[in-house]
Amino acid sequence: MPRLVTTAAAALLAGSLPLHAQQTDTTETPPVATTTPDTDTSGDTGSGGTDNPVARIAPDSGTGTDGADTAQDGGDIAQEVPSEGTEDESVAQEAPADTAQTDTAQEVETAPETTTGDTAAETASEETDAAQEAATEDAATAQDATTEGTAQDATTEGTAQDATTEDTAQDATTEDTAQDAATAQESTDENAASGTPAAETAAGTRGTDTDATGTDQAAEAAQAGTEGRTGMATAPQPLMELGADWPYYGGDAQATRYSPLDQITPENVGRLEEVFTYHTGDLPEGTAVGKYSPEVTPLKLGDDLLMCSAMNILISVDAATGEENWRFDPGVPNDAIPYGASCRGVSVYRNPEAAEGDPCATRVIQGTLDAKLVAVDTETGAPCEDFGENGTVDLWQDIGERVPGWYAVTAPPAIVRGIVVTGAQVKDGQAEDAPSGVIRGYDAVTGELAWAWDLAAPEQNRNGPPEGEVYTRGTPNMWTAATSDEELGHVYLPMGNSSVDYYGSNRSEAENEYATSLVALDVTTGEEVWHFQTVRHDVWDYDLGSQATLLDWQGTPAILLPSKQGDIYILNRETGEPLTPVGELTGLPKGEVEPDYISDTQPISEWHTLRKDPLEEKDMWGFTPIDQLWCRIQFRMANYQGFFTPPSTDGPWIQYPGYNGGSDWGSVAVDTERGIIVANYNDVPNYNRLVPRDEVTSKPINEMQAGESAGDNAEGAADPQAGAPYGINVNAGWRNDATGVPCTRPPYGGIRAIDLETGETLWDRPLGTARRNGPFGIPSMLPFDIGTPNNGGSVVTASGLVFIAAATDNLFRAIDIETGETLWSTVLPAGGQANPITYEVDGRQYVMVTAMGHHFMETPVGDEVIAWALPEE
Amino acid sequence: MSTVDSSARHHPPARPGWAVKLLGWINVLLGLVILGLGIWLIVLGGSWYYGLAGLGLVITGILLNRGSMTAVWVYLVVWLGTLGWAWWEVGADWWAQVPRLVAPTLILILVLLCIPALGRRRPTY
Repeated sequence: MPRLVTTAAAALLAGSLPLHAQQTDTTETPPVATTTPDTDTSGDTGSGGTDNPVARIAPDSGTGTDGADTAQDGGDIAQEVPSEGTEDESVAQEAPADTAQTDTAQEVETAPETTTGDTAAETASEETDAAQEAATEDAATAQDATTEGTAQDATTEGTAQDATTEDTAQDATTEDTAQDAATAQESTDENAASGTPAAETAAGTRGTDTDATGTDQAAEAAQAGTEGRTGMATAPQPLMELGADWPYYGGDAQATRYSPLDQITPENVGRLEEVFTYHTGDLPEGTAVGKYSPEVTPLKLGDDLLMCSAMNILISVDAATGEENWRFDPGVPNDAIPYGASCRGVSVYRNPEAAEGDPCATRVIQGTLDAKLVAVDTETGAPCEDFGENGTVDLWQDIGERVPGWYAVTAPPAIVRGIVVTGAQVKDGQAEDAPSGVIRGYDAVTGELAWAWDLAAPEQNRNGPPEGEVYTRGTPNMWTAATSDEELGHVYLPMGNSSVDYYGSNRSEAENEYATSLVALDVTTGEEVWHFQTVRHDVWDYDLGSQATLLDWQGTPAILLPSKQGDIYILNRETGEPLTPVGELTGLPKGEVEPDYISDTQPISEWHTLRKDPLEEKDMWGFTPIDQLWCRIQFRMANYQGFFTPPSTDGPWIQYPGYNGGSDWGSVAVDTERGIIVANYNDVPNYNRLVPRDEVTSKPINEMQAGESAGDNAEGAADPQAGAPYGINVNAGWRNDATGVPCTRPPYGGIRAIDLETGETLWDRPLGTARRNGPFGIPSMLPFDIGTPNNGGSVVTASGLVFIAAATDNLFRAIDIETGETLWSTVLPAGGQANPITYEVDGRQYVMVTAMGHHFMETPVGDEVIAWALPEE
Repeated sequence: MSTVDSSARHHPPARPGWAVKLLGWINVLLGLVILGLGIWLIVLGGSWYYGLAGLGLVITGILLNRGSMTAVWVYLVVWLGTLGWAWWEVGADWWAQVPRLVAPTLILILVLLCIPALGRRRPTY
């Protein structure tokens, strides 16, 4: 036997694997609602009202509202809006919504607001004002209804604002609205019938245009009205439209990552050329070296790209030329870097009560590594003085001892009905007595705490913990992006695990209830609406890492949730009930470490999973027979009983899939037109062992001396887990100690297309070539698809292209959504571990991705933001 | 090579050149490693392939050091066995075949290259 190093083989891999999963937190998409004038209206009005505000509203949403009731009631409105049917219908229009998005039905967009009756109602009720009450019933109506009078009152709090608003709203819109409304109605009737207005609406929603100010705003305003400025959210606010813009982290508010643009097609994509490369200038220095994993996805709004850098420098760049407009550096220190310096994105909020030109009428909001919310004006980059203290809100408030790097925000916040919702990354594996996983909502204008959701003390700590106390320590957190639902007033939180991932006997019941669950909160109150758990008693660090996607699924307003185990669930987003079959594994091994804690049953998706079959000895790999043989020995020596093998300490155990997924923070793209889910995924095990306390040498982050490094090792490698009887040692990707080559055969990552109706795989292929990987880290230059680990998602365009970087081969590529074939690729100057976007300026479509590298994925670091387009004629 | 073989077979083992000896020692060394680890794997309940292949490699190496043409035949058996085993395990999954076939095939080529040397010795006697 040979064993020379065969090179060829070598190619593979080695380097490839890294993957990490978890980092970061926070939410995503902010809806921007601009308008606002009357805002109030909505609230109250709900009912028939109709004042102008409504009118405006009406148009859009026409729908909005439930309409029907309203119609009847509201005199004005009524007229315009044909009664009953309306709402639903309006919805209906939108409904096509899914489609609509694409289209851009702008006006309609508002639709979202339309909250469904229920929602609306609920919301309303919550609100305090009388108006609310009124609204409630009609709830649905609320939108329309805005009676001015009422509205105002309701809003009263808002006071000044309101007053103005109303007038405006009224005048402008009314007429228009009426028309629209009418239309809406008509279109909708059918829908109405169907009953699911809300859902549909939602879909439609995204449609809204930002631009169309007049109308939209009005509409929005109306909706907004509801809220009032009480500080608490209430009414849905207008959504920004995806198309020329990329206004949310996930593209649209629904986070579909599906763009209606179609200038770049499968036929001409081969002619793409680079338009510009912008350098952020943010490269690691000092102790930050080896810790950069920016993962940045810009937003595009108007003429500008809005983004953060790895260290949270906010930057605005001309979207057509790459010239910098402004930057704002919040001065994040290196010691704030938790596992990696990441800022996946920013969110934008349009204050519906601000006039155009007011400072911070439209603002960029980000969460930082040193745990602050920072808001600046999108036009100038100047801090928003009305937000917190000079544009900054300190998230360490009520968290406990400040330990830099332990509590950090790495995902864009979600903004729903004027409430900025954020969680945070809590550095894994440190200690049970760790910062809380509390989720908090802040007023997007003032930065005031609207509510807190401390899953272990939701009532007690809703408005912050009592004096002298902190939010419950060590609870499951949310490091990834949440999804906002203006229509229902929900925010959907993909929760992670408790602070000590691999041991659970001493967790509280509340932790067990919510860990690794998707949780829907009512953003107007901060109360839980429902939750759906994907792992029972998680001791595998199977945090939910993917941002969930809102969609209309077979007539029901739904939310699609991918997990690190690779399971894809579709849930009713009003109730959390699964719409696709959920199976149950039974008789799972309980292990010897904590058999009373380990669950012998687990849920799985019977609709679709990205997970592969359990490993066998023959799946062991290497580039020669000797390293393959060594991996076989490791395989035989490990505890492995398939999926959900419990942790062990007498010997190592194999966790497959590992904590990098399945689907991680890049999430999936959903082509709502074709009905196709595009999911890239990792297919990599971890090789772990619980380390008895007396063998643990590492210290938790809060016990480290200043300047002491926690090490640059992969997450989970030698983590102390202070407070638990064991530390944890994770060999992420299960790589050969000597060569760095993975112990399991390729592919290590892939991408597949899934039929949204049936859950069947349309095509599936490895993602990533072997060009950059090889034994001992030597690039093989082999151009063959091997399937590398990957982090970062895709964007799908209406023309049928999937753009994705993500893999460790540093390529950015366009794939045909029909066949899975790569139609175009280009080499990036650094790792492309980020989600790409596409947008349009002056009729020209651009695709963009940031090439900034990733320490865990072992790709070269960079600071490039690169845009491509077709050659100008 | 067949001609060479047959002639070689009737003569006492030739004194191999340095290159053949080097390959012989490499095979012995690798063979011992694989044999040792392979026995471990067998004890753990795993595949018998490595133990057997390691043994074959050791024998091949020893025979090469003796300048025996039998080394070639032994190794051919090892290589053909490897081929069959590899196909049985993973079939046409070429990436999975890399560790199974690439290095053994390289060694096959080197062993075959020894044939003229093994044969050529004879005339010197």
